Amino acid sequence: MIAYLTKRLGLSVAVVFLVVLILFSLLQLIPGDPATVALGPRATPEAIARYAEKMHLDAPVWQQFLIYAGNAATGDLGIDVFTERSVTTIILERIGFTLALIFVAMGWAMLLGIPLGCLAAVKPNTWVDRITGILSVGTIAVPSFLVSIWAILIFAVNLRWLPAIGAGEPGDTADQLTHLILPAFAVGLSWVGYLARMVRASMLEVMGETYIRSARAFGLTQRRIVFGYALRVAILPTITLIGMGFGGLISAAVFAEIIFARPGLGKLIFDSVMARNFPVVQGGVLVATTLYLGVVLFSDLLIAWIDPRVRDSL
Amino acid sequence: MRLDGDNKILDPGYMIGGTEVEAQKQCLPFLAQYKREGDTFGWEPTYYVTKLEQRDPTHIDFELTEGLIWSNGYGPLMASDVKYSYERMKGTDWGGYFEALDHVEVTGDRTGTIVLNKPFAPFFMVTLCHGPGAILCEKATKDAGGKFTTKFPAICGPYTYDQIPGQRTTFALNPEWTGPKPGFDTVTLQVITEVKAAELAYEAGELDCTELGADTMARYAAAMPPNSSLTTAGELQYMWMGMNTEHPKLQNKLVRQAIQHAVDVDSILAGAYSGTTTKSNGIVCPGLIGHRDATKSYSYDPAKARELMDASGETGLTLTLRTLNNQERMLTSQIIQANLAVIGITVEILPLDSGPFWEMGSESAGDTWQDLQLWTMRFAGTPDPYEAAQWFVSSQVGVWNWERWTDPEYDRLYEAGLAESDPEKRNDIYLKMQDIMEETGAYVWINHEPEAYVHGTDIQISAAPSGELDYRRFARI
Repeated sequence: MIAYLTKRLGLSVAVVFLVVLILFSLLQLIPGDPATVALGPRATPEAIARYAEKMHLDAPVWQQFLIYAGNAATGDLGIDVFTERSVTTIILERIGFTLALIFVAMGWAMLLGIPLGCLAAVKPNTWVDRITGILSVGTIAVPSFLVSIWAILIFAVNLRWLPAIGAGEPGDTADQLTHLILPAFAVGLSWVGYLARMVRASMLEVMGETYIRSARAFGLTQRRIVFGYALRVAILPTITLIGMGFGGLISAAVFAEIIFARPGLGKLIFDSVMARNFPVVQGGVLVATTLYLGVVLFSDLLIAWIDPRVRDSL
Repeated sequence: MRLDGDNKILDPGYMIGGTEVEAQKQCLPFLAQYKREGDTFGWEPTYYVTKLEQRDPTHIDFELTEGLIWSNGYGPLMASDVKYSYERMKGTDWGGYFEALDHVEVTGDRTGTIVLNKPFAPFFMVTLCHGPGAILCEKATKDAGGKFTTKFPAICGPYTYDQIPGQRTTFALNPEWTGPKPGFDTVTLQVITEVKAAELAYEAGELDCTELGADTMARYAAAMPPNSSLTTAGELQYMWMGMNTEHPKLQNKLVRQAIQHAVDVDSILAGAYSGTTTKSNGIVCPGLIGHRDATKSYSYDPAKARELMDASGETGLTLTLRTLNNQERMLTSQIIQANLAVIGITVEILPLDSGPFWEMGSESAGDTWQDLQLWTMRFAGTPDPYEAAQWFVSSQVGVWNWERWTDPEYDRLYEAGLAESDPEKRNDIYLKMQDIMEETGAYVWINHEPEAYVHGTDIQISAAPSGELDYRRFARI
């Protein structure tokens, strides 16, 4: 397991290094002087000179890259060109909101999607299976931004049960949770369908295995067979899907953060792209990528822990 | 209330503009403020002064109100703060607003004279009433290193300022404020990037006031939400379709004139803006000196447009129309595309995000300006025609004059308009300048889009002509 962990960690570090290289290269590839590109056409010559000095733009490109990568490794992601605040600080202010949104969205989707998938698998070709199938495909097919708008119209505008915008009062956990309900519902809904379909397919395959037949022959209860044996094996591809899904959820969080006016990493990157605030874009993308790699690494390790055969596959 | 993004630079010398001006108006002193008089705009002294008088075309005397103090122990508001603030502005990003300032003469603790180096008619409306006219505390600003970003070094206004990045900005009553108490103890602004999200939040009862998009304005005009009112600030935005007079495909003036005659602006106003905007006939907005009631050298006439195209000898012309990728601009572009197809011009629409859009004609931002052919553009400004006219002088070619024409007579009239204080003469000057612009064939005037706000019927809001809200002048009804 330690060898597997080392290999996977090494791979993740290599990917992060590659991302840093690409992010650095992108700024170099944009036509024009990098300082002017970063600060925009309104920048004064003094501001451009200050930025060039701060970012070591007079040094050879390879040295600039080493300085940038070295700073990134120590958590220094540069300075916001407008506010002159630390990009790391700006990202830390927002990332919690995105993580909360993603985990709550995926959490409720798992709580509903996995049992639905099991239910459909243990009652194949029945009305339960068919209704579950229709619901699953339906939730996958409806675009999340549409769900967001309908959710706001129904629950915030018409019924006034839930807040439409914002992240809630700072320090008021209950208020923050209330503000999380609609965005998490919108972001997570399609994942209910994905997970239900994936678990159903895996479970159907596992339920046909001989050891399940043996378990039945030994008189084990259906509940024990499903949750004690079948799901443990069938969940493996689902864990991979969930790990990969976090990457998609970081993207999905962007629209939710815009529609629900929530602070977050996705919205920060979006706004920074619009304002051509490149240090924040670079820092945000790097953190999002690292976050994604972290989740994928965790899901891989979880699978390796559940299924020892995987440890030898890398 | 809605805030469309975090305030990034509160320093009037280096601000981006917009909501930063709103923050300055709550927390910093100003000598003058806008005053609406029917359909026109004027100015009046603020509470911060007991005297503000133009002695002659180059001297403005002022006396500050006694007893106003800066926060953080920086003492009383002094005439030396006015001198420091205004003279400092000359070397900043917004220095253009103070081009006419020679110096500020301090004649007492609270008295002084603003001395201009030449007569500058728009000084009150453009400079003193707008964000760049904010007064800073000299000592506090110097203690902060000479400039600042997201925190005021010291305030002297009815509200304090607090920002949670990405979430909200709060204006709360300033306990040290000795001036008139504003109508509301606290004004909270939620960061809501998209105007549509803000409209939904208003309908959900989570906002008391928000800006509206054109389509929602039309919807509300038909059926207002319960207990709601609509307030329209000035229509200080002017939109047009521009043509690059230097581009090989558009160098022939007959082609440009054919395009002017081919575009059906009334259809754009109805189709893209739901009839909520005023038809434009130039760059000077309604309610201002120099506003034109009609175009002079063209009107929608497809037959005439076809004649001009035939006379130009151009056939099979394909042009690219660049536009911001929002709903109204895209619809506008599609209507123009259909209009020009009638006279045999194929238009390819190129939607752009705001970043590349706003620098595509700038020579300092790359070579895109050489490929520019057609584009839709909207500028906004302060309530004086000088502000709109300044972007089209010869020195602005490749900066903001993307149409890239020059005319010595236009440049001469621009200087004359600055020096002239007689409203009637100024009116004639700016009308003539717009005639010159129109005759280049490089413009199809489209509309003046209002800044419109929906709010509860129990609130009276105050908006500058350019749309910035002034919370300290809000009132309960």
